[in-house]
Amino acid sequence: MKPTPILKPRQSVGVQIVQNQSVLVLPALLICTVFIFIPAFLTIFGSFYAFGLTSQNWEPVGFGNYVRAWNDDVFWIALRNNIIIVLGSIVLQVGIGTVLAAVLDRGISFGQTFFRVIIFMPMVISAVAVALIWLIILDPNIGILNAIVKSVGLSPPKLGWLGDPSISIWMVLVVAAWQYTGFMMVLILAGLQAIPNHLYEAAALDGARGFRAFWSITLPSLRNVLVVAILITTIGGFKVFDLIFVLTNGGPANATQVLGTYIYLQAFTLTNMGYANAVAVVLLAIAVFLGWLQLKVSRRS
Amino acid sequence: MADLTLDAVEKYYGAYHAIKGVSLKVEPGEFIVMVGPSGCGKSTLLRAIAGLETISSGKMTIGERDMTHEPPWDRGVAMVFQNYALYPHMSVRDNMGFALKVARCPKAEIREAVENAAKTLRITEHLDKKPRALSGGQKQRVAIGRAITRAPDVFLFDEPLSNLDAALRSQMRVELGRLHKQLDATMVYVTHDQTEAMTMASRIVVLNEGKIEQVGTPLELYNHPESLFVAGFLGSPKMNFFDGKIVDVAGKALTVAVPGMPTPITLTLDDDVQAPAFDSTVRLGVRPEAVRVGGDIPASIALVESLGNQTLLYLDAGALNCVEAESSDGFITAQLPSQHRYTLGDTVQISWSPDMLYLFDTSGRRLCTPRLAVAK
Amino acid sequence: MTTAPRFRAVQLLLYGGVGLWSAFVLMPIAWMVFAAFKTRREIFTDPLGMPQTWTFDSFERAWGVGLGQFMFNSIVVTTGAVFIIILVSGLAAYAIARSTSMWMKLLYLLIVAGFAVPNTAVIVPLYQMVTAANFSNSLFGIIWVYAAYGIPFTTILFFSFFLDFPRELEEAARLDGCRPWAVFFRVVMPLSGPAIASAAIFQAVFIWNEFLLALLLLTQPDRKTLPVGILQLQGEFTSDWPAVMAGLSIATMPIILIFLLLQRSFVRSLAGLGK
Repeated sequence: MKPTPILKPRQSVGVQIVQNQSVLVLPALLICTVFIFIPAFLTIFGSFYAFGLTSQNWEPVGFGNYVRAWNDDVFWIALRNNIIIVLGSIVLQVGIGTVLAAVLDRGISFGQTFFRVIIFMPMVISAVAVALIWLIILDPNIGILNAIVKSVGLSPPKLGWLGDPSISIWMVLVVAAWQYTGFMMVLILAGLQAIPNHLYEAAALDGARGFRAFWSITLPSLRNVLVVAILITTIGGFKVFDLIFVLTNGGPANATQVLGTYIYLQAFTLTNMGYANAVAVVLLAIAVFLGWLQLKVSRRS
Repeated sequence: MADLTLDAVEKYYGAYHAIKGVSLKVEPGEFIVMVGPSGCGKSTLLRAIAGLETISSGKMTIGERDMTHEPPWDRGVAMVFQNYALYPHMSVRDNMGFALKVARCPKAEIREAVENAAKTLRITEHLDKKPRALSGGQKQRVAIGRAITRAPDVFLFDEPLSNLDAALRSQMRVELGRLHKQLDATMVYVTHDQTEAMTMASRIVVLNEGKIEQVGTPLELYNHPESLFVAGFLGSPKMNFFDGKIVDVAGKALTVAVPGMPTPITLTLDDDVQAPAFDSTVRLGVRPEAVRVGGDIPASIALVESLGNQTLLYLDAGALNCVEAESSDGFITAQLPSQHRYTLGDTVQISWSPDMLYLFDTSGRRLCTPRLAVAK
Repeated sequence: MTTAPRFRAVQLLLYGGVGLWSAFVLMPIAWMVFAAFKTRREIFTDPLGMPQTWTFDSFERAWGVGLGQFMFNSIVVTTGAVFIIILVSGLAAYAIARSTSMWMKLLYLLIVAGFAVPNTAVIVPLYQMVTAANFSNSLFGIIWVYAAYGIPFTTILFFSFFLDFPRELEEAARLDGCRPWAVFFRVVMPLSGPAIASAAIFQAVFIWNEFLLALLLLTQPDRKTLPVGILQLQGEFTSDWPAVMAGLSIATMPIILIFLLLQRSFVRSLAGLGK
């Protein structure tokens, strides 16, 4: 048998539709330049001027805005609050997330999907809705937290959970943990499930089971995932805006002010655009450093 | 069916010289197998023929057409890949007919071509399955079927059997041979497996470090290797090599003394080579099947491998040291037909059958090869 | 086995822990739904109890704020931005992954650098630029802003996907007669389904919930997206808590339902951030 050639070689030389491959990168580059790189540059540029929301008059002030930030107590409170949120979120979200992930991965024998779905669920709800729900739960008059606390015979804080400056930041941490712990759990669970089972089998033959196996097999294998989880939480902790804006708007008396809400306050409420830019540059520098760190870590894995 | 010529093909990757001036003429209907150690450039050469790699200089023609700068889809070649490269989102039928579909052939023609190819390869009942539902051997058939459907001028195979298990591999070997006869097509086949090369090839091309070492029929290469490299590459177990010196040249008769051998050996110089100088260093080659038990060289048995139909002995002959040996200990390999009982550590006397000896000069070029008459 | 009772006790403890956190997660959501059905009086008198009657009155009041319009706007913005992100990032990542030139690697690094810039840090000039270009209160305008902030991460995601994509399939397609565009659209794209779905879900969740940019750029009531729109509930119904809760239920239930239906894809997609 010899099939007759159906497919004759075409006579024309194939024309490459795209002569220069970099053309395909241009749209992405253009969009990012217009909406990311130029604004980033203008933020830095604008931080050396004083100007209002609509004013055409840009007054050069040199490092004046940075000096102002240095002497601004609220700026330092905001930065401190960001750090509190970062550290608290690492402890709560990554900590509880790791424990939950470990339990779901090897601790319990059925119902993993069920629990995973429930615990992850808040992640898909907008932070605004989350904040509004919790705003009412924590409300001193109608909130159920008060009702629960009263029903066990304790007295809730007089100024309210969010109204008391010494408590409010911790409440923010609780709400953030409510929303994002499931995300961390899922992230870490994916890392756990990537650990090959034969490692555990080898460990079992060596006599390591249970907590011992978790300590000597699971945690070392999870190192990279944990570092990424901590970095994501850290970046999120510095960028936080929605949750606090709706829950407390930085109050009471700046007790929950963070860089995000402070930039917004200075820029759009007090219309100190130049000063807002200077605070934004601080946030930008932190975020760029952390983002660079994250890419470096994840590329290694 | 078309012929394929390569003319002084060169390929550089930056400063790395991958193909060093390869010229080759493949006759219509030939089954050419390119072999060589990994990194020798055989895959690069195949991909250059396919148009998947550009060549730095040189010329390539298929039939009468200069294909050097044609894109892959205009060369009239089809390729079977090592890991099948079947499109996972298409059924077997669509995989096999894809090229014709891209070329906008009428549906009926595609259908007929696919079904003919499927019949040839006995995969008709799998036509409507997805590739992931097939076994390795079936996937390989589909990959070959995809090439057949196109009825290309030249078939290219890139180590197509290396992902299959041993039994399936020898079965597919036979089948590919049958297919070649049936299609009467020009095929270029790349492998590192010398059994595939020896069993299937019309001619074998041995490549080493980007250059062609030798081209010839399998037995030509086995019996008359042009170089030490070819002699060492073809044949399993590998040929035994010993370093020695020319102690006498008398016309065509060369006498070689090898340290550790009790008597010098006399070989006949090949007709077309120059005799080496007296006292020059040479390398003597002895095929394992030329090693006989009984003789004047004492050797102790270091290892015995009983394969059923043959017995391999690894022998420690003291001062008579094998160079480039399979084991680094300088043991001599002997391949004895049928079964024998030997005890480790025993000493046996060995010798070589004189008509199975090879001699190479210091640059690795052939001096003497055995005068074997291949039975017709 | 002698360890069985101890083993059972440990299991019980672990289930207790996971169950406790699940209850903590579920309670606010359940309370939101129940409170929506309560009367204003019930909320004050019996905050923990179940509603006496199941009426949809408060849902009707909440819907009157314009939730339908907000939802429509969110759908338009999310669909548009995700479409642009996938298309633009896909092309860029493919071109970069298949190129060996140093220039392309530099372009890639530049796009990746955009990943590190949070929109919180650049809102001042961003607001001024969009306003100056008369793009505020324009859904079409904000789509491009959202696209910009989704492109870097999606490009990274696609880039690593295309790097792992079996090169032989593309080579086979070229030998089968496909031109570069045909290779991309007939072989690479159909096989990128899971990667595209992952990236799309990831970006959709973020854009659907994005608040800051929407707050600044969409102020006109009929242009607001859901996150900004539901903020209006608070002002509109000062003490009508059931209406607020009903509005929140309407706003969150669709996404929760979609999540429950596609939970496997959601989880896989968002967990991809850890890679």
